[in-house]
Amino acid sequence: MNLYHKVGAQWLAYLVFFAVLAAVPLAVSDMFLLNQLATYGVFGMLALSISLCWGFGGILNLGQGIPFGLGAYGMAMTMQMQSQDASNPMPPFMLNNSLDHLPGLWVPFGNTTVGILLSLVVPTLFCAIFGSLMFRARVSGPFFAIMTLAMLSAWYTLILDIQPYTNGVNGITPPAPLKLGDFVIDPYSSGAYWLVLALLVAATVAAKLMTRSRFGLVVQAIRNDAERVRFLGYNVSGYETAIYTVAGFFAAVAGCCWVMMTQYVSPAQFDTTFSLSMVIWAGIGGRMSLMGSILGAFIIQSAQSYLGDTFLNTWLLVLGGFFILVVRFLPKGLIGLLESALGRISAGSNKGGNGVSARRLYPQPGE
Amino acid sequence: MAIGSFFTTFEWSAFINALILGISIASIWLIAALGLTIIYGAAGVINMAHGEFIMLGAYSSYMLQNFLGLPFVLCVPASFLIVAAVGLVLERGLIRYLYKRPLDTLLATFGVSLVLMQGVRLIFGSDPKYIAVPPIFTSNIQFGFVNISVFRLVVLLVTMAIVAALWALFYRTRFGVQVRAVMQDKEMAASFGVNSDRIYMLTFALGAGLAGLAGSLFGVLNIVLPTMGTAYVVQAFLVVVVGGGTLAGSVAAGGATGELQSIFAYFTNDTFARFVLFVLIVVFLRIRPQGLFTPAAKRR
Repeated sequence: MNLYHKVGAQWLAYLVFFAVLAAVPLAVSDMFLLNQLATYGVFGMLALSISLCWGFGGILNLGQGIPFGLGAYGMAMTMQMQSQDASNPMPPFMLNNSLDHLPGLWVPFGNTTVGILLSLVVPTLFCAIFGSLMFRARVSGPFFAIMTLAMLSAWYTLILDIQPYTNGVNGITPPAPLKLGDFVIDPYSSGAYWLVLALLVAATVAAKLMTRSRFGLVVQAIRNDAERVRFLGYNVSGYETAIYTVAGFFAAVAGCCWVMMTQYVSPAQFDTTFSLSMVIWAGIGGRMSLMGSILGAFIIQSAQSYLGDTFLNTWLLVLGGFFILVVRFLPKGLIGLLESALGRISAGSNKGGNGVSARRLYPQPGE
Repeated sequence: MAIGSFFTTFEWSAFINALILGISIASIWLIAALGLTIIYGAAGVINMAHGEFIMLGAYSSYMLQNFLGLPFVLCVPASFLIVAAVGLVLERGLIRYLYKRPLDTLLATFGVSLVLMQGVRLIFGSDPKYIAVPPIFTSNIQFGFVNISVFRLVVLLVTMAIVAALWALFYRTRFGVQVRAVMQDKEMAASFGVNSDRIYMLTFALGAGLAGLAGSLFGVLNIVLPTMGTAYVVQAFLVVVVGGGTLAGSVAAGGATGELQSIFAYFTNDTFARFVLFVLIVVFLRIRPQGLFTPAAKRR
């Protein structure tokens, strides 16, 4: 059997992968670099959520920026309100936009616990409502992708438009790092890095367990043929909504972490390019593998940071061209190369078998 | 906003102007969506590079005008031909391998859109370009209190002419019969001797060409930029989704969404109107997920 499909080997790979990531702060003393690596972890979480929803659920989601951005704005509002007190109850930008009292939208974020809860609950709830509306109407495939894209662009224009509440295109820049009780999370510290990593590990393990569960199997069956699963008596739209909502929740967590690390949020988080690049990470890394997607995010983002400076003008050209090649020739992404390489090794040692090509037993993407 | 202020600011003349502007917006969205409708309707390909085809059309007009001195009226059909050729190359080189994987066509064409956008930016730079038009196009017409620019009228007329031409092409020619046969059932059409591969190729080129034509007009309405396509592509997609992928559906959907946008914008503002419109479309799809008019196609 192909080592790639052995569950034990997969868990071992996760263990090694995350152990290496956890050891990074011991070797890196440059706190700015560490902060940057932690934001890659956030991007990894986003790629994970895309992989869950697209790779396993077959729901191509071009609007993952919505839960991410909503979570990020919620967190930014919470952090901003931590810097306000009774003598100075309003963020400075509101005064510039001639508001004379704190808008009701902002009031709940004065309490840190409520604020963080809202940052997670609101995007999740949005995904649940939007998803159930769409999936119950049996909008699926490319149409759903287009609708998420349209929804994303609607949120983008809305956030830009309500400038007195969101500071429009400038975004929100909380002046101080997040305080949880008396504990300050300094974004430029190993502690913050480990916090993000712990959340990424938790999300990955939860996602992996989910895909191994009965629920995950039904979701994957829906990806392969929704009609058949419907005829078998499953509530397809319920499963689709659930996986879409879980992915949205992960993205909201990622949004919170992102603001925690960068202390900044702007409508750019709702930009279509950003949401599409999440899809590119998962696509290049390998959408049908959780770790492949995370690695895809790491590779593309670090390449963008380091090569992007050298090839400032041609970077998008290279990325676009590379993505076309991956879609055309490697539908399973770069991790698919590993799969076929391991498959070749095991095929060499295990001649004969039961006569069914192992390739047909495992799902092929894009069909 | 309060209801009181709403009634005091309501003026019939301004409202009628908004309605007429709505027709103009509808014609712009429709002409942007026509190419997309054809490509989606015939081949089931979601062409994310459509916005960049529009942008290429604008740049072709700009180039022809500045380097060859072609008059604007000739630039429009020339853009059609140039972008249709680009579409043909793209279809032969990439899209035809992906017809069985509709979601992957979406991704691959997104890659194409990145390449085209950045390629144009490398060649022409990020600074805006302008397309010159004959002076008569830049004036405004005044009928009583109704005021509309001549060029918007031109766009409306061109859109109407193209819709009529497409209708004639699809319902009055042999090629049109073949396209509709392939749309309904590819294998069945093939067994009757229709070369579906060739039909896909030609419809893709036609759709791309229409985007180029739209682009050469949009280049006059707005400035020409490498990123100009993205402004139109979401609207164009919505028109296709609401319309259900047919020509008649797109015309109806373009008209309805453009008019609603203008009416909402009259009561609130442009961006909020767009948000309301998108939410309405989501609700609409809950009720009619297949769009306004859907072809009798088999399940893809």
